[in-house]
Amino acid sequence: MITITVNGKEIQIDKPMTVLEAAKKAGIKIPTLCHHELLESYGGCRLCVVEVERMPKLQNACTLLAADGMVIRTESEVISKVRSEMLELLLINHPLDCAYCDKAGECELQDLVNKYGPTVGRYKEEKRKVPESHTDPIFARHMGRCVVCTRCVRMCDTVQGASAISMIERGGRTRMEPFSSTSFNCEYCGNCLTVCPVGAILSRLYIHSYRPWQVDKEIKTICPYCGVGCSLFVQVRDNSIKRVIPKIGQGLNNGLLCSRGRFGYEFIESQERLKSPLVKEKGKFKQSTWNEAFHFVAGRLMEIRELHGGKAIAGIASPRCTNEDNYVFQKFMRMACRTNNIDSISRIGFAAAQKYIEDLLGQGVTSNIIDGLKNSDAILVIGGDPTAVNPILGLAIRAAARNGANVIVVGNAKGLVPIIRDKTLRIIHPVFREADVLELLLTNIFKTQDVRAEKPAIDKRIKELSEKPVKMDIKEMEKLVKILLGSNSISIVAGMELVQRVDGHRSLFAIAALTYLLEARLFLLSEKPNEQGLIDMGCLPDMLPGGRPINVGDFKHKFEAAWKESIPQDKGITLMEMIGAIRNKDIKALYIMGENPVFNLPNGHYIREALESLDFLVVQDIFLTETAELADVVLPALGWAEKDGTYTNLERRVQLLKRAIDSSSGIEDWKIISEISSIMGYEMDYSSAEKIMEEIAKVSPLYRDLTYKEIGAGDCLWPYHGEPLRGELNEVPVAVDITQDYKADFYLAIEKPLFHSGTLSRRASALRKICPEPTLKISPQHAGKLKLKEGDRVNISTAQGTISVPVSIDASITDNRVLLSNNFENKGVFNLLNFSLDKVTKAPGIEGCEVKIERK
Amino acid sequence: MFNETVLKEIDEIKGRYPDFRSALLPALYVAQREFGWLSHEAMSYVARTLNLPEAMVRGTASFYSMFKHKEAGRHLIQLCTNVSCMILGAERLVDFLRTKYGMEPDNTTQDGRFSLVIMECIGACGTAPAMLVNTDFYDNLTEGKIEEILDKYK
Repeated sequence: MITITVNGKEIQIDKPMTVLEAAKKAGIKIPTLCHHELLESYGGCRLCVVEVERMPKLQNACTLLAADGMVIRTESEVISKVRSEMLELLLINHPLDCAYCDKAGECELQDLVNKYGPTVGRYKEEKRKVPESHTDPIFARHMGRCVVCTRCVRMCDTVQGASAISMIERGGRTRMEPFSSTSFNCEYCGNCLTVCPVGAILSRLYIHSYRPWQVDKEIKTICPYCGVGCSLFVQVRDNSIKRVIPKIGQGLNNGLLCSRGRFGYEFIESQERLKSPLVKEKGKFKQSTWNEAFHFVAGRLMEIRELHGGKAIAGIASPRCTNEDNYVFQKFMRMACRTNNIDSISRIGFAAAQKYIEDLLGQGVTSNIIDGLKNSDAILVIGGDPTAVNPILGLAIRAAARNGANVIVVGNAKGLVPIIRDKTLRIIHPVFREADVLELLLTNIFKTQDVRAEKPAIDKRIKELSEKPVKMDIKEMEKLVKILLGSNSISIVAGMELVQRVDGHRSLFAIAALTYLLEARLFLLSEKPNEQGLIDMGCLPDMLPGGRPINVGDFKHKFEAAWKESIPQDKGITLMEMIGAIRNKDIKALYIMGENPVFNLPNGHYIREALESLDFLVVQDIFLTETAELADVVLPALGWAEKDGTYTNLERRVQLLKRAIDSSSGIEDWKIISEISSIMGYEMDYSSAEKIMEEIAKVSPLYRDLTYKEIGAGDCLWPYHGEPLRGELNEVPVAVDITQDYKADFYLAIEKPLFHSGTLSRRASALRKICPEPTLKISPQHAGKLKLKEGDRVNISTAQGTISVPVSIDASITDNRVLLSNNFENKGVFNLLNFSLDKVTKAPGIEGCEVKIERK
Repeated sequence: MFNETVLKEIDEIKGRYPDFRSALLPALYVAQREFGWLSHEAMSYVARTLNLPEAMVRGTASFYSMFKHKEAGRHLIQLCTNVSCMILGAERLVDFLRTKYGMEPDNTTQDGRFSLVIMECIGACGTAPAMLVNTDFYDNLTEGKIEEILDKYK
């Protein structure tokens, strides 16, 4: 225990820390400028100087480690004088243009000068002039205002790991610049904005549009983009979102954000938002009143239910909707529509993976605390780029790498390649054969690490696999096995590319078995904000809320008692099976909440044909999407910042979503559904989202006793007061092994970019400015072979169709795959891809799609 | 991009240090020698060759005034105008270069023959005024002597 005295107050600390940190712990504030909580101490500005008894000179509190017996004063005449002079030096060049600087009112320099600063400066020379830069799509730079604290550069280097900016030149000319002086061309996380103490780096999204003190309200909510669920503070003026910021100490992102979260909010105020319910008459949409629309939908659904039974109806839920929306949705499908045909887009990734792995290892095994990644010794990343899919989780991996962890990247995780550099491993494998790599790794680990004999089914399958090992030559395998066996704390980060294979379940088994053998922590990347919640709410054909299997009588009866109605007998079918059933005319009506399957499922043409053949299609959304255009009725819902509710993130953390702005056009998803359900004869009369959570907390064993008050206080991870289920499989489900060699010139595959997510992001103008159009990513070698240069336009054709896009050369691609994203209207990769189902997980296998590339 | 011999040279430089970052300054000198100055493209090559972030390469390169960041003439004249040189008439020499050869500080002559840089002290105070032409050192300068020297650089 170390005891120091600060301003006469004794402070006891139990671990090494700086005087600044110790003082802060005791509530004593020492002024700082270059220091920032998220960054390492720097000791550049000299504003945190303190007097330490028996030390001859003033000391920097931010770099001085507290030692036992130190007696420190943080304020004195001498200290004030020094601080005043330090500020006077900074003001030699700082322009004092506070009258029109966006930062005024929340400027750290302004506050410091107000407290300590000189009233008159003694330096009469002209201030330096650095031209403003407004050439970047997002950031404006006023480098005349820069005080060279280097916070932005340190943030970009050591926390974000992007290293996109640096201090250039020296002396009085020093300033921050990105490599190309005009554009940042970076990850656009905007974390440099957060740390800039003055108005040197500004966001062009809100420049000169308001003052910090003119914000009407600030609402804490959750990001609408990915499954990490970062906390955001939405600042509103005149019912319009002015700015989205993170805060230190708030939420699991602790002051950090990514480009989508920080700059992607503009979709909510898009002009394209749906304004009123639309009902199709003779092929044309006509505006209708809510009441008419409700009765029309209820009437048609009842007709189909009476005529063909509930099994002719299906519902697609949404991982962008809240837990409350999804809970009400599945209850409506089961109780009012009398069907278990409920699934979601998560079937093509997260839901399929989670179900398979939880069946083997038990509930909750895929959910671990993101922050814990930082403490791993070894991290195995496969099946996707965490820094693009779940950027804040990606930062935890980068942090672990800086702490000395071995990061092993299998395949193409672009955002991690610069981090691993020559220190650890990158494994390149034949295209689409992740399952073979994983099985090979598993059998190699099994050679030295015996089974744990806790899960007989898994043990048996591992033994089976090791009897006929995969034939594949991976030269780094020995090193990889050595790293994993030599590490105490292992994390496995699995992306959803693994699931989207015909033999996806093989990869999933290997992942589960490795988790089990190595006692690793498993993280599944989740693209949408509420994929976990959607599963928890029972939006699966075979699961009730709380992940309770529908075929277990006890669970079924409990829900029947709570819902006062029987659960339909017919087995439900999964998403891709639904499409098939629609084409076979077995399903006649489809109810879609907040999803765009025509765009977001492979072989869009095939999906479109299916939906066009439906007798009745209802789409509830905030935009007239490709799918909504096919609907008989379109019901405008409320978007992310307009409603209350909860999201459950990939760590199974339940978090509150709060209304920040009012919308005049839409209604909450759960309310629309409740109205229709009541008309159909199954009464639902929830008065608020909170009331729905009260019901969930009663019926779901995983959310037992959870209240909004507790969720709002933070750190609500399920199982709350309930119990998770253990994995109880007697036999590991496997399908016939299909291992194909892919030998064509080029294969088309899906790119998951950092700046876009699809329907929402393409309507966020800032994200459009950063990344305005899709490009075909190709490796430098193959671009050279085809004589393609950056920006050349090409036609890419598959059996499904042709799209014309510019080429972008990407050195992180090392094989004969070419990548295209699925984000832009009419240019989605899914339109060009075909699929065949993984027989076990029922996820679409999207592999081996040959593609022709022709210069246009 | 660098040719094979240069890449080999940089590889050799890399081998001298525990990490690539330490090889940055010598690698930048090689780049400057090869391309005449450090364009963005040249810095980008260096970054790729050493596996370092581009911004960091530029930050480092721009800190040192002996790296050239503008396309330069065939010969670089660096003339000192610090205290000793100034007292002994360096500023007159700048005027001489301006009128006789059409040189402007930080600019290149129209014929691309000379670039002029006013540099800080080169430690030749005892024999001021002094200058460097490329890497050759000259001191005790006078107008006549400068004329004689520059005749050697075509």
